[in-house]
Amino acid sequence: MAKKQTAAADRLGIDDDPVFGYRALPGIADEMLDAQGNVRPVWQRLLSTLGRLDETELANRFARADRYLRDAGVFYRVYGGKDSSERSWPLSHIPVLIDENEWATVSQGLIQRAELLEKVVADIYGENRLVREGLLPPALVASNPEFLRPLVGVKPADGHFLQFISFEIGRGPDGNWWVLSDRTEAPSGAGFALENRVATTRAFSNLYAETHVHRLAGFFGAFRDTLQARKLHPDDRIAVLSPGIANETYFEHAYIARYLGFMLLEGEDLTVVGGRVMVRTVAGLKPVGVLWRRLDAAFADPLELNQSSHIGTPGIVEALRAGSVAIVNALGSGIVETRAFLAFMPAICRHLLGEDQKLPSIATWWCGQTSERAQVAANIDRMVIGPAYATRPLFDDNGQSVLGASLAEKDAASIAHWLDAEGGKLVGQEAVTLSTTPAWVRGRLTPRPMSLRVFAARTRDGWQIMPGGFARIGSGDDVAAIAMQAGGTAADVWIVSDRPVERTTLLPAEESFTRNMPGSLPSRAADNLFWLGRYIERAEGALRILRAWHGRFAETADPSLPLLQDVTDYLAALDIDTRQAVPDSLLANISSALFSAGNIRDRFSPDGWLALNDLSQTARKFHATVQSGDDATRAMTVLLRKLAGFAGLVHENMYRFTGWRFLSIGRYIERGLHMTRLLGHMSGPNAPDGAYDMLLEIGDSVMTHRRRYNVNTAALTVTDLLALDPLNPRSVLYQLNEIKTEVELLPNACVNGQMSPFYREAMRLHSGLAVMTPEAMNLGVYNRLERDLEELSNILANTYLG
Amino acid sequence: MLYDISLKITYGYEVPVSGGRHLVRVLPATLPGRQRLVVGSLSCHPVPAERSESVDFFANPFTAILFRSAHDDLVIRMQARVHVEPLPLTADFSADLSRLPMELAACWSVDPEAPHHFVGPSPLLADVPEIEAYARAVVTPGMTIRQIATAICARIHRDFVYDAEATTVNTTAAEAFELKRGVCQDFTHVMIVALRSLGIPAGYVSGFLRTIPPEGKERLEGADAMHAWVRIWCGTTAGWLELDPTNNIPAGTDHIVVGHGRDYGDVAPVIGVLKSYGGQKTEQAVDVIPVN
Repeated sequence: MAKKQTAAADRLGIDDDPVFGYRALPGIADEMLDAQGNVRPVWQRLLSTLGRLDETELANRFARADRYLRDAGVFYRVYGGKDSSERSWPLSHIPVLIDENEWATVSQGLIQRAELLEKVVADIYGENRLVREGLLPPALVASNPEFLRPLVGVKPADGHFLQFISFEIGRGPDGNWWVLSDRTEAPSGAGFALENRVATTRAFSNLYAETHVHRLAGFFGAFRDTLQARKLHPDDRIAVLSPGIANETYFEHAYIARYLGFMLLEGEDLTVVGGRVMVRTVAGLKPVGVLWRRLDAAFADPLELNQSSHIGTPGIVEALRAGSVAIVNALGSGIVETRAFLAFMPAICRHLLGEDQKLPSIATWWCGQTSERAQVAANIDRMVIGPAYATRPLFDDNGQSVLGASLAEKDAASIAHWLDAEGGKLVGQEAVTLSTTPAWVRGRLTPRPMSLRVFAARTRDGWQIMPGGFARIGSGDDVAAIAMQAGGTAADVWIVSDRPVERTTLLPAEESFTRNMPGSLPSRAADNLFWLGRYIERAEGALRILRAWHGRFAETADPSLPLLQDVTDYLAALDIDTRQAVPDSLLANISSALFSAGNIRDRFSPDGWLALNDLSQTARKFHATVQSGDDATRAMTVLLRKLAGFAGLVHENMYRFTGWRFLSIGRYIERGLHMTRLLGHMSGPNAPDGAYDMLLEIGDSVMTHRRRYNVNTAALTVTDLLALDPLNPRSVLYQLNEIKTEVELLPNACVNGQMSPFYREAMRLHSGLAVMTPEAMNLGVYNRLERDLEELSNILANTYLG
Repeated sequence: MLYDISLKITYGYEVPVSGGRHLVRVLPATLPGRQRLVVGSLSCHPVPAERSESVDFFANPFTAILFRSAHDDLVIRMQARVHVEPLPLTADFSADLSRLPMELAACWSVDPEAPHHFVGPSPLLADVPEIEAYARAVVTPGMTIRQIATAICARIHRDFVYDAEATTVNTTAAEAFELKRGVCQDFTHVMIVALRSLGIPAGYVSGFLRTIPPEGKERLEGADAMHAWVRIWCGTTAGWLELDPTNNIPAGTDHIVVGHGRDYGDVAPVIGVLKSYGGQKTEQAVDVIPVN
């Protein structure tokens, strides 16, 4: 054993030391080492695993975890200045290990706290005895931006305000845990905790199998079942309500919804009818009974709450008053997140529960009170001063808090004046020292400050604490470096038992296998899919015409040639400028496709998303560099290939259900329009020389034409092939044929034996064109067909997408 | 005084709107000791698909209306008969400004009438340092809150020009202060910000004002408009005081209250969320007619 460890240590380039030179920082508690510097028992197996690996093996294992996260498309958003960008998930690969007995004590403290918070919120929106009896200063309610007056007196449909909350906890220098902040509004991180778990077990699969680590699935399963039971009507939907793709944790919203089998909705998907919240789907309005919101409460209803909200649903507060929907957590619950509340919780706990808090929160003084303000002023060098109504913990509030010690050069009088003037807007909090945990930094284990986000869910058996959580690890020694926006990382948390643990999974057992069909498609998702189809096809149409144009331009270098001039005029009508090798409007088109796709990212694979991004980036690069002529021809070919790559991924991988049909119909309508317009413009009696050859090239039908007609290109054969041939996937008739097939399978295509207006119109267009002959096709026919196709798109929008 | 009040608000939409949901706060309130709504009714054209009545946090009744089908105009009509009690202006029992923090701290309540709702910034009214300086300039040591409020009211009335073209419903207090122009909403907002900057709780009152036609002229129908003025908390003993900075008078029997709030947003006559792609035009006609 000793020999083996020595060998491993040699390979890691560290002296003969069971902890590889890891040392706790003086005066700071450590997760792996106890106060005496001994390795805590739960960590020993991890250390011996690390001891058996050399650096290459370890790097491979970490790479496996990262690859999992990348392939799963885990991302978060970073905001800087005006822009925001997506970042890959920063996993700290070494998990944090905690003994289950210690965890049980933490859990008891947090359950008590959850019960207390529920009572406080219920009092604020109900009887208001805490204010009347002097336990809560009225200003903390009345001046609190999280206090939502329209919700006063509104009782939650199922009696509870809080259902899913989280706590930020840290371990102090004495080894005890402290609560740093409560998150009662719409806590994030639970989904990321799941992803951290999956990724970390990719790196340490054997270790995870050997160690008795409590599983997370049971916790989520219990919460899911509780929400299911909360529905007032059996056919009510349960949905995760997201602010949308621009939110920093959107990935998690989509992930949680999929994991638990709930719909993923945004405010715009919902409407309130007769006091009930309904989701707009392509099959009509469907009732929603439970909304697990990830949206800040004030934005939920632009009518009664924040009037500037564009992401809410007008009337939601009315539905809450009617008691027809349960929102998790109740709107307004965020009020107890505000920092100043921490100052009053100890007394409120004694008052309401008749006992002390089992898990203390960090010492906090609200500067709206004279004696507390004096206390803060007197101990300023041990304080952090921050906004009283901030909801984020002080190490993660974008620098709104100042360290009292940093004010040392100021004289006491000016500090006292500042505290007096700002008073109720400020809190002083004891400056925290967090424990450290090992992180793998530049080839060695390094102590880094850590805080833990722990989740609590109300289940049918009362509050349950997730056995694990979401550890945030600082990028340096500084506590402030924990914030992910400041380069912090995230780690999995293993609660370790010395006995085998129950292995639950949310994947259904084989014997209870059922094939669930996806639920009704929200209209907004259908709308985005439809337009994604149209934009993609529009881009392809433009690319094909431009490639043909530049190919001919390369031969003659004369844009005034009748054929080139003719196509230039045609493109100008579509806002495409041939003087630019890669025109602005083409980029705009691809951006629109990317935007539509971004709104429904959870509906196709990360590969598809990457392909579309690649197309967009390449087009941008070409826009800056590519010249007209041969260069542009080559560029268009590259872009067409990339576009085909995206289309192929979607075609090969997307589940053939309602969403697929809207995407496809979008493509068919746009392709039909493209070919109809083009034929109308280029196939008349006045068509310039070479127009028919060019049409065939744009329609990718040169070879087919040669094989089928065995004659030189002529008006009739080209018209036949590109307009009327039911087997040519580029012909207009082919598109109408496909639309007809898809339409039959859409919801409400027929109601009581009556065709829907969309179905009828699709049938009419198809049969109208199917009976045409090439001789009868002329500009008038094409113009009418173009109008009809546009109208078909409008009817679809009115029927399904409104 | 007994009044018959009628109000007609007309919205014309450039492009028909496909539906919409609105909150309407236009019916005069019943306020014991101040005024009583004898009878009142609200009607809309087109007829809404849904309609419900509620009372908001500040005890203002409101009507929620929902339209599901497309319409290109909307007419809201209100008719009410209101009895208004005279408000005798009593001796000044209001607190000294220096005593106000103590008075506030002694008030352990967040009921709708509690002053704490009206001290801080509110959704539409942020702190404005220039307005604070403007307010501080009128304060001398030993002044009571009523004296201060009356002085600020007079100063705004003197310094500001009533100008319906200068501002819109979305003009901020800071902008109106810069312009020194505006309508009752702007006068009221500036005065509220001024009072709050001194720590004095101040709120927004929306309502109607009876206007007296110039001597020898007939009263013109629809010449009146919805009005706004300020409500000031003068300490536990004196309670709330209402001053009208647009006219530099205390609110009296000519002032008929519709609602109380922190700023215009809490009591806007019509709040609406529409699905629309075009602009809209609004017209308002008000008649306040004394019943003999």
